[in-house]
Amino acid sequence: MKNHPIPEEEAEQELDSIFHEIKQVFRVSGVNLNFRTWASYPTFFPVLWESIRPVAETRLFEESSDQLRALAARLAGKLPRLDAASSVGLGDSQIFQIQAALNLYHYINPKLLVITSMVEYACQHPTMSAFQSQRQDHELMTRGIPLHMYPMEMIDETPDDATRRRTFRDIQRTLGLPGINSDYRTLALWPEYLYSVWHRLKPVVTQPLYMEAALALREAAQHMASHVLPRLTLSEDQLRILGRKRTQFFETTAHFTQLLPPLIVNIVLISLDWRSRQDLEKSPFPIEFSSPVLETSP
Amino acid sequence: MTWREFQRLQMVSRVNDRFISHVETGDGPPVILIHGIPVWGYLWHDIYLELARTRRVLIPDLLGFGFSDKADCFDRSIAFQAHMITAWMTQLGIPRATIIGHDIGGGVALRMATLFPARVEALIVMNTVCYDSWPIELMLQFGHPEAHRKLSASLAVRLLRQALKRGFASSRNRKIVDGLLAPYTTETGKLSLIRNAAALNTNHTTEITHLLSGIKVPSLVLWGEEDRFQPIHYGERLVNDIHDSRLIRVKDARHFLMCDQPEIVTKHLLDFFERTVSSRHFKV
Repeated sequence: MKNHPIPEEEAEQELDSIFHEIKQVFRVSGVNLNFRTWASYPTFFPVLWESIRPVAETRLFEESSDQLRALAARLAGKLPRLDAASSVGLGDSQIFQIQAALNLYHYINPKLLVITSMVEYACQHPTMSAFQSQRQDHELMTRGIPLHMYPMEMIDETPDDATRRRTFRDIQRTLGLPGINSDYRTLALWPEYLYSVWHRLKPVVTQPLYMEAALALREAAQHMASHVLPRLTLSEDQLRILGRKRTQFFETTAHFTQLLPPLIVNIVLISLDWRSRQDLEKSPFPIEFSSPVLETSP
Repeated sequence: MTWREFQRLQMVSRVNDRFISHVETGDGPPVILIHGIPVWGYLWHDIYLELARTRRVLIPDLLGFGFSDKADCFDRSIAFQAHMITAWMTQLGIPRATIIGHDIGGGVALRMATLFPARVEALIVMNTVCYDSWPIELMLQFGHPEAHRKLSASLAVRLLRQALKRGFASSRNRKIVDGLLAPYTTETGKLSLIRNAAALNTNHTTEITHLLSGIKVPSLVLWGEEDRFQPIHYGERLVNDIHDSRLIRVKDARHFLMCDQPEIVTKHLLDFFERTVSSRHFKV
């Protein structure tokens, strides 16, 4: 039986604390679908998070994600423009908020792809023990949600109105999604706009150039996970906690590594209606670093 | 007008580190309409166009309300809201305006009139919070931090919809109540509203009680007579304390008097505008 993602507001005690820490470490205003899905493996998730956290708050991780974002902007810049906003009568405040929401996902999605690729790699290559012996110097990021980041507001997965339900169904069917992602649920706050975006995006997602862009992102993230970033330490013993759900967890994680690259491209494509490609190559929430900290694994 | 049509009219201003959405229309002396809890600027949709015939009407969503900033990282008390509205006026180049406030928006208006009198041309409060008239029981419960975990967004909206019905004298079109609650139907919206409710603080009106008699601008207290949330005796007390003020009782109206009796409320506001302008001219 499939595990269902745990909504942020339903998280209690230890999980609530982990979700809080995810937002602080990833510098994001909400907990995305992959974390909510991983959280549905209750005994393994705290172990996984302990493995993710030390890497996710390093400068190297942030900069790798920045590189992926820049690559996405360059690749998506070659695709046809959507021009989705022009046909929808949006007000000033609505435009402001859509742009802010796009910035949020433009920031977090590349980070999610990098970390998911790292988890996938760690699952494929478990370590002998739970701890690695090498000493590593890591410059740490300043924790905390950026002041101007839009809240990860989204509508329910099964909306009340038929139009949004239809659009969600079409997105799921076309992209082969098991559920509807946070990005689309956020854009559904402006239903006519989501409809317009999707109407224009749908023919693009089957174009070879689009698929090449998504594949290039996936491969870049896999390379970072296996060759650039310090590997996550998940031992065979730790993975055994998953029990009979192990294969399902691996498949779910692999699915996210396939799902995220197109999402990253989509957000860039949608954002290109408002911002230049060059602008989108930069992080919307550049970070400050604390002074170098010597972190020693036992 | 549907809430979505109203939302589409909203502009946006960055104020300090936050943003405020507002509707603006008309020419003339500025009039700012401030809503209460748990609603947003759409509250005024039945009356604002008529006021805009002779006034520049501005309708902000308070911080944390409606489609203004809902990030979970700032104060939402009426004390802070009064500062924010003042800063927002500065941002828009409005040195002074007639301030109209309802419910906690009235509390914001009273704080502005007492603490930032130079920014207030005239004061109108409607079924406002004042003294120790608030927070009402429902909002106290809603503002508990645990409410976020105990109530789903859909359940919270169902409860609020039920409660809001008590604020209307007539059986209102359900769409209006739905429109008033529309920004709070998501988990983020619900959380923001819970934080707004948690910020309700009696002290922010009791601490200005001794300053009410110092309000020197023309003032009007409009009250839906049958209000169960903010009983009319608070309105009576206010006009005793505010020197140049008058109480108008609106019949067949409860808390949301501008929805119950839009024509009557509009007429009283226009009369007040006329009189205050006339009296100013007379004084000159």
